[in-house]
Amino acid sequence: MAMDLNLKRDTLVRYGTLAVIGIAVVAPFLSGNLYIINVITLMLIFIIFASAWNLLAYSGQGSLGHAAFFGIGAYASTLIAAKSGISPYVTIFLGAAVAAFIGILIGLTCVRLKEWFLAMVTFGFAIIVQTITVSLLTPITGGWDGIASPRLLSPDIYGYQLIEYYSILAITIACIVFIYYVIRSRVGLAFSAIRENELEARAAGIDPVKYRLLAFALSAYLAGVAGALEIHHIGYITPEIFGVDLSFWPVTYVILGGLGTLAGPIVGTVVLTIIWDGLKLFGLTFGRYIIVGVLLILVIIFLPKGLVDIPTTIQKRWKQDTKGKNQYDLKD
Amino acid sequence: MKLTANFTILFLVIVLIAALFAGCAQQAQTPAQPKEIKIGAIVSMTGPNSNIGKSMWQSAFLAADEINANGGIFVKQYNTKIPIALVQGDDESNQKGGQNAATKLITEDKVDILVGGYSSGVTSAYQQTVAEYKVPYIVTGASSPIITHRTDIDTSTVFHHCPTTDAYGKYTTNFIDQVIRPAVNKKFSFPADRPFRLALLYQDTAFGQGVQAAVNETITKNNLNIQLVSQQKFKMSESDFRTPLTVIKAANPDALYVAAAPNEGAQIVPQARRDVGLTTIFLAVENNDAPEYYKGIGQYGEYSIIESRFSPYTAPTGLVTDAQNAFKNNYFTKWGMYPDMMGASTYEGTYIAAKAIENAGTLNKADIRQALVDLRMPQLIEYMKDGTISFSKDFRESQFNHWMEQLYYNSTIGETRPKIVWPDNLKGTDFALPAWYKPGSA
Amino acid sequence: MAELEVLLQVLFWGLYAGCIYILLATGLNIIFGVMKVVNFAHGEFLMVGAYITATVFFLSGINPYAIIFLSMLALIGIGAVVERLCFRPILGTSKLNEIFLSIGLIYIFTNSAAIIWGDEWQSIKSPYAGITIPIGSLTVPFDYIIIMVVTAAILCALYLFLKKTKTGREMRATSQNRKGAMLVGINVERIDIISFGIGCALAAAAGTLWVVSGQVFNPYMGSIPAVKAFAIIILGGLGSIPGAIVGGLLYGIAENGAAYYVGGIWKDAVSFIILIIVLVIRPTGLFGESGD
Repeated sequence: MAMDLNLKRDTLVRYGTLAVIGIAVVAPFLSGNLYIINVITLMLIFIIFASAWNLLAYSGQGSLGHAAFFGIGAYASTLIAAKSGISPYVTIFLGAAVAAFIGILIGLTCVRLKEWFLAMVTFGFAIIVQTITVSLLTPITGGWDGIASPRLLSPDIYGYQLIEYYSILAITIACIVFIYYVIRSRVGLAFSAIRENELEARAAGIDPVKYRLLAFALSAYLAGVAGALEIHHIGYITPEIFGVDLSFWPVTYVILGGLGTLAGPIVGTVVLTIIWDGLKLFGLTFGRYIIVGVLLILVIIFLPKGLVDIPTTIQKRWKQDTKGKNQYDLKD
Repeated sequence: MKLTANFTILFLVIVLIAALFAGCAQQAQTPAQPKEIKIGAIVSMTGPNSNIGKSMWQSAFLAADEINANGGIFVKQYNTKIPIALVQGDDESNQKGGQNAATKLITEDKVDILVGGYSSGVTSAYQQTVAEYKVPYIVTGASSPIITHRTDIDTSTVFHHCPTTDAYGKYTTNFIDQVIRPAVNKKFSFPADRPFRLALLYQDTAFGQGVQAAVNETITKNNLNIQLVSQQKFKMSESDFRTPLTVIKAANPDALYVAAAPNEGAQIVPQARRDVGLTTIFLAVENNDAPEYYKGIGQYGEYSIIESRFSPYTAPTGLVTDAQNAFKNNYFTKWGMYPDMMGASTYEGTYIAAKAIENAGTLNKADIRQALVDLRMPQLIEYMKDGTISFSKDFRESQFNHWMEQLYYNSTIGETRPKIVWPDNLKGTDFALPAWYKPGSA
Repeated sequence: MAELEVLLQVLFWGLYAGCIYILLATGLNIIFGVMKVVNFAHGEFLMVGAYITATVFFLSGINPYAIIFLSMLALIGIGAVVERLCFRPILGTSKLNEIFLSIGLIYIFTNSAAIIWGDEWQSIKSPYAGITIPIGSLTVPFDYIIIMVVTAAILCALYLFLKKTKTGREMRATSQNRKGAMLVGINVERIDIISFGIGCALAAAAGTLWVVSGQVFNPYMGSIPAVKAFAIIILGGLGSIPGAIVGGLLYGIAENGAAYYVGGIWKDAVSFIILIIVLVIRPTGLFGESGD
């Protein structure tokens, strides 16, 4: 019975993934609307960012300062691209490497910390990075004024927005696939083992420090890619990129979508983007934040596994109803 | 197993968006003769700058309302008056929001012209979209000159109708040199060549640093007899300034120039006089000329100076006095509060946009841009250089006339009120040093 | 000599700034001690306390120091509701969940305040704003003396409450051993609500003092002081009230010292640099035991 279901679902996965990619590919033609393309482009970038945050959370570490890595990747890539003239398509991966390196450094201070101490340290770290950017590093970062960032593509190229959109889509898919394989590999297994029970993980021969650092590096790298993409897309960077807002968004996306699942960050980002930009059409300003806040709390309390868990929850209800109340589904 | 369920959901969600797109795609169709002229206002309706954004939006709204009450803008090409539709773009006080708002206004709403823009950082983030579509943009809030000075993109459609940090830093420094320095020398019988001891306290952002640079540059360039004895900076939104003020006091200044936002400035003056015991002349930047500043400084603000171009409590007598008062009253009637100076320039910006379209006689963007380049319209509610609103040839900045106000305590309201003391053609009274004033010493 | 005088002043401003932090940190510590809940939205209670004080003052014109009782009382109520509706359902799930929930609370409180009270910066004026008192070489505003005295009085009252009353003893018992407390018949859910309420009331008191001292406030004011309060209780030791007091004073002084020596921009960063250094050396905080 369970096997059957699995098989069915496996095909579903395949078709689902294909459909998703298919829709994303034809979306620009369906809409033909540059505003929507811009919204989706930024949404894709935030899917990478949220997935990066999620990967760290997958190893049991919750960061409240991921804007630091987002921003470091963006600044590093901007500076490399501006100074060397190399295409931003190359430098985003170099800039992200800088973010990963810093990620390892901050990870080193964090590995021994309890989960919410870590949240504090990462939160503070974003503030420290911002301070350094506008003080010590002003000569190269332009201080609060910020600096222009080379565009991904020159606006002179005909239809450059579409090329940009597809390239960002491709990078997003690559990032998701990468995370998928990381989670399915021994590394991913180690991550979840540490998250679930560090002592047992240790007993099984997993070195928590090593894997935590690895999680930090991978997560910071992907966040750096996202940051660099956003900034090269926008064409200008200022230290506001390290703001608290940008640290909180990936958290909100992931929690809403489903913590620790591959689809969670994607679903969360998509749903929230629709809600956020949809409510804007109704002229809501502060109200939007309140709605997001309420939604977030409701999900945490009533759907602890996020929106992606809705089908399972419904299925469970349905099963209970058909099988009768005295039978319990032990498998779950 | 869990993964599979996730993908099902994901699939459904994406289908939903696709449906959404399909719905959106049906809309876009532009008629030959437009029913309305679309002016996009990029303002911060949410986020930390929302109070200024609100003032800018409400002012633009008021201007559009007034223009529409007269039937709208006359466009020669269609030989008729066409009403304005003001479209709001909330930049959410951040770059991502600004990018989304600008793209939506430009590509979806297809606005004919843009006004607004507050934070320089946020404005820079969508300037490339503006450049790409060559949309005329009248920036009425960002104070950093970088907006029209940057060279990495084409800024030729961007017009700056808002004084820059360069302008006010220079103006205030000249006032110090020409008015305060002689007054101090005279009162205390100092030799005329005594260097004036100026201290600087500035917000550590593009805005504050811009003022600081302008002060330093003005002193060096004009070889002024002013010595900067202390230059302290503070973090944006700071509320405790006692430590930098203590340092400044130890440097014994003759006067303290503060480059801060009104919420900060309102605390700096009382903390300096009451807590630190700094008995000196304070000078504030123009954006402090707002009700909250007067309220915050209370009696401690007595005899302090504000550089200004638009004040809630005074207006220089002359040509624009009535227009300015009418704007303040109409704004109050409509919104139940008083506008600030960013509101004033955005109000004017909307009129400038209307005038440019009328002069162009068409909704062609290149023609509107050219009309802005050639624009020479009489000043509206703020004093402009030569009484005319026009944009400079090099960086497309309009030239404001500033003035200096000195604040006098009014015990019936329990707050200070400004009197214009400089320049000579606008002033209502002379600058005075208070009895408690103590000059600095080396 | 002049240098020393400046330093003394900087030290005094640090003490004054420390008062707000101490109240916030103590409140957090009570909540954490009893419930083991991490409430990152604690600063929003400070903000609400500030607005309640200002609103009552504008409407009635009574002495703002007297409003402190009202704002504390109001926040006990708001705190109890938040505890019951938001934190209790997720109690014991995961520390991270509490942090995420706090983010939702921050969105809700900040933006509701912006809708109710507007997002402009506001300030009020204390009736004693003009009075200063010379202490040695310093001239100190009377308001700051009152604020320090009020802070001390609140802390003493709290101490007495925890030591002498039955509820206070039950709170301490719950914080030491929750299961044990349950076994001896303490209604821990009642204690949770009370502790959360008291924690919020302390934040409200901090908000009142913030407003009365003439500092400006707006809906976004709460987040940074709250995070600093967290840094303080990590430094001072989880659940340790004396630790919170010492930590709060140290932070106030360190920040003002940083502003003095390296410039105002470093004020926030230095708090976190201290925190990170301390945690690298001692992952449980300066005086902390294992926490939970």
